[in-house]
Amino acid sequence: MKRFAPWLGLAVRLFLGGVLGYAGYLKAFNPSKAKMAVRAYEALPVPMANLLGILLPWCEIGLGIVLILGVAVRYASFISAALMLLFVIAIAQAALRGLSIDCGCFGGGGQVAPGKTKYLLEIARDTGLIALSLYLFRYPTTRFALEKEGF
Amino acid sequence: MAAPKPGGDKVTRNIVIGMVVFVVGVGVAFSMVSSKSSSTGVIPAAVSKSEGYGIVFNGDLKDKPVVDLWEDFQCPVCGQFEALNGAYMQQLITEKRAKVVFHILSFIGPESILAANAGACAADENQFLKFHSYLYATQSKTENSGLWSTQGLITAGAATSLTSDTFNRCVTGTKYAAWVNNVAADGAAKNINSTPTVFVNGKEIDRNTQYFDAAAFKKAVEG
Repeated sequence: MKRFAPWLGLAVRLFLGGVLGYAGYLKAFNPSKAKMAVRAYEALPVPMANLLGILLPWCEIGLGIVLILGVAVRYASFISAALMLLFVIAIAQAALRGLSIDCGCFGGGGQVAPGKTKYLLEIARDTGLIALSLYLFRYPTTRFALEKEGF
Repeated sequence: MAAPKPGGDKVTRNIVIGMVVFVVGVGVAFSMVSSKSSSTGVIPAAVSKSEGYGIVFNGDLKDKPVVDLWEDFQCPVCGQFEALNGAYMQQLITEKRAKVVFHILSFIGPESILAANAGACAADENQFLKFHSYLYATQSKTENSGLWSTQGLITAGAATSLTSDTFNRCVTGTKYAAWVNNVAADGAAKNINSTPTVFVNGKEIDRNTQYFDAAAFKKAVEG
């Protein structure tokens, strides 16, 4: 297990970093749509939602790069877990309030027809990503990281 | 394993984090600037800044309903809305029964931007409504399929008797790119989260009952 763990850590790091970076990339170049996706949660005042729509994709890209390179893995995985938890809360509140929206996680977003929502799937996916982030937080030392120690 | 140089990894960390912060900062600045409204960009003659840069018909009508339609030429539901209510909207305009403002959004991607620009070019030639219906009638089933390249939009223009050099140059040069952005920024400020979105006299009508029932839509507009 001791020999195996850093390799598993590498896989988790690359996967999590890849998902974050890709999700950010899909949104970063269509700010109108990204802003709309955040507004559709109806959880923030409109100007703040619009600002967050611009900030989030680029932060995801930054977090993705840091994870893929393997720098400050413990901090990055903690931030990643916190971000995913925030997404779960945002999606859950939308579901509970009866909004019909797409989470806009990988581009897309905005209102969808009632019955076309995928809240459970979206929450399950983000919960899985939280689990992976927490694994990296617990075992941040991984193979082929720029920093030998992930702390 | 050799002990790492003391402090060696911290240097790597700081350099990498510094670079990443820089990339994120540049990206955010780029997104902000590219989606910001411009007060100096050219706008089509039919557009009113005070109407959120929408393309206005019957702007001088008084005591008549005001219909604001927010749409994206690539949005399939907007195509359904046009198929159901488009002819009625045209009647409202030609018979001067309502003031109608078209807000052309462009969040579905590059071809939405080109199509919105072409719509403004058509408005300059007083052919907006015809071009508008034609685009929806020939809409691609997939987003950004290549149908509405600038060349494709010139072809669409030709099919609606828009053949002038001015129109073609306007489409090819995306003359109204800044205006397209301004409409998008206004939609963002007005919390438009879906297309189509219809306001009658400044209030959104009910998406579930009044959009896709021609009789209910007429009633919502004219009472």
